[in-house]
Amino acid sequence: MTKRHGVRRLAPTVPTASMADIAFLLIIFFMLTTSFSPERTTVNLPESETRTEVSRNSAIIAITADGEIKFTDGERPSFLLGSVEEIGLLTQEIIGFIPDKEFLIKADRLARYEMVDGVLEQLRLNGVQRIGLLTEKESPGDDG
Amino acid sequence: MNLRKRLRPPAEVPTSSMADIAFLLIVFFMLTAVFATTEGLQFQFPEDDPTQLDVQPEEAIHIKINGDGNYVVDRTPMTEAEMGGYVQMKMEQTPQKPVIIQTNGEAPYFVMIDILDLLKYLEVQNISIPTQTEVERWKAFGIFE
Repeated sequence: MTKRHGVRRLAPTVPTASMADIAFLLIIFFMLTTSFSPERTTVNLPESETRTEVSRNSAIIAITADGEIKFTDGERPSFLLGSVEEIGLLTQEIIGFIPDKEFLIKADRLARYEMVDGVLEQLRLNGVQRIGLLTEKESPGDDG
Repeated sequence: MNLRKRLRPPAEVPTSSMADIAFLLIVFFMLTAVFATTEGLQFQFPEDDPTQLDVQPEEAIHIKINGDGNYVVDRTPMTEAEMGGYVQMKMEQTPQKPVIIQTNGEAPYFVMIDILDLLKYLEVQNISIPTQTEVERWKAFGIFE
């Protein structure tokens, strides 16, 4: 057996050719699952067992635990409101175009009910019919 | 003139940075992804007609939530479990029986959601959530205390 000297070995490489494919696959996944919600206030939603799917592109009213109210028509980003009464005019405008528009209330679980009541009042006065109260799935073992 | 054929490297699209760009985009989408909450409890307001009461308060089950988060059902203080049993019993007798949830402004929001959740769970068809002004109006008519 002759031993050949100087056989050139290829330098070891990590195969990276498929990296881009994997990456693009992940990109597509995230692009499809991401929904750019116009309402991004962080609130601790109350929990409930029964939940139904609410319609997308609904107007959202966020109420934080310290009583701030934010409003979005479902398209433009949400903005802070000075008082509950401002909802009235905004609602009227939307209902004028889309009478059966759904309005979602995204209130913090510790928000005072007074605030929610004020918002419901405004919605009702301005002819809103469909209301959704956003909740989170009740965690198992929690009696709350 | 030099007419010898020169060895040119084959033309290639530079793809080495593709993965970098792709991962950058992944990180961007991962960070901006807000998995929107799109589930909750739904209810409908009745057609607005101030002269017409949509429920007859004396026929309805009346759940009153106090500021401290305790409930009074038809003038009897109850726990959540007792209320569930009571409402279920009433529903078996009259399935269309309306239920009114009246919440004190001081109470935290989640207490009201808990009740609403319970009623939805018991498949109560006719839930009414009067606003403070409506409660005042009902009181003025003397049909609500």
